[in-house]
Amino acid sequence: MAFRDVIEAVRREVRRFLYPPPPTPRAAKVAAKQVIGPIARLVVADEVSRTLFAEYAAHRASSRGHEEIGWTLLGIRQDDEAIVLATLPAGVNRSAGATHVQFNSIAQELACRIVRQSHRQLMPLGLLHTHPGSMRHPSDGDYRGDINWVEGLRGGQGVFGIGTASEQPGRVPAVHEQERESLTFSWYTLSAGERNYRDVPVSIEPGPDLALELRTVWDEIETHAGRLNSLAGQLALVRFAIGSGSQKPALIVRVALVDNARSIEVMMEGKDVRYFVADGSQIMVAEFRDDRVDRGVYAMLTELSR
Amino acid sequence: MDFRPLEELERKQLVNALRGNAEQGRVLLLDRRDTSFVGSADEVPDEEVISAIRSVPCHY
Repeated sequence: MAFRDVIEAVRREVRRFLYPPPPTPRAAKVAAKQVIGPIARLVVADEVSRTLFAEYAAHRASSRGHEEIGWTLLGIRQDDEAIVLATLPAGVNRSAGATHVQFNSIAQELACRIVRQSHRQLMPLGLLHTHPGSMRHPSDGDYRGDINWVEGLRGGQGVFGIGTASEQPGRVPAVHEQERESLTFSWYTLSAGERNYRDVPVSIEPGPDLALELRTVWDEIETHAGRLNSLAGQLALVRFAIGSGSQKPALIVRVALVDNARSIEVMMEGKDVRYFVADGSQIMVAEFRDDRVDRGVYAMLTELSR
Repeated sequence: MDFRPLEELERKQLVNALRGNAEQGRVLLLDRRDTSFVGSADEVPDEEVISAIRSVPCHY
């Protein structure tokens, strides 16, 4: 290649860098899809839908069935859709009565940390809660809380569902409603600054409830959430897992040591808390007890640093 | 069936998304109407998520 050709090639590259060609309509369409727009449609994964209806029905049949109940909804935003892919229950330690429900947010925080270990794109999309009567719209009290809360969500917008139970044979659900037997979920969006909720069309599509497995260790999550959240906030190499306990699934927290060859493992099953050290394929049981998991982990770290 | 070469921007986004999927497990998004590639879901920072979870208001 002649020196003149080299100079021309360099000039061409510099021009391309400084003046890139405008995107074609198709490419522009792909680029535009990266931007989150207002929610025009709610998509609920079918396993999420089954979870919500089943847990609502089970709640109504329980000793606390007269209370309101609810779930935090996690998922992704794509184009003008909100897609619900995980549900976090209000928890046994919720504060609730016939006219209110406040979720156990400490347990939901831990559950969120666990499910997002493998799904970092999940974000809070909104909330579903129930009303004891047949009012299918959020109340004024709901609005006062939600309108501030949506400011912290992506796009300043959230999805809100109201669950109700009533027998109305022959009733045809609206496009923003889901119905199964006597139970109805009515769906709305609310954006920061809006004066009221808007109906949002809902559809069910094949997909998982990524938080469903956590139900098997939800008691352990609620029991240890405060201390495990602290641990996860203070230490970098903390991972959670669900494993086989002696009687039922157990919640496991694994703290990798700096050399990464060894780790401290804590197994929580019911009220039982057991500590182990894993070193390659070898697992050693620690002969001490402490139900306060964070203190137990720090005691183990101290012991192992000697 | 219609085939066409990817535009430069599409190609870059697809390569980046595939790399993100292989190396970090990032999600590839498909348009469910025609299965075309529509990007990858961005990771959401823990702080943003935890803050929203902690501040869920009481409902009535």
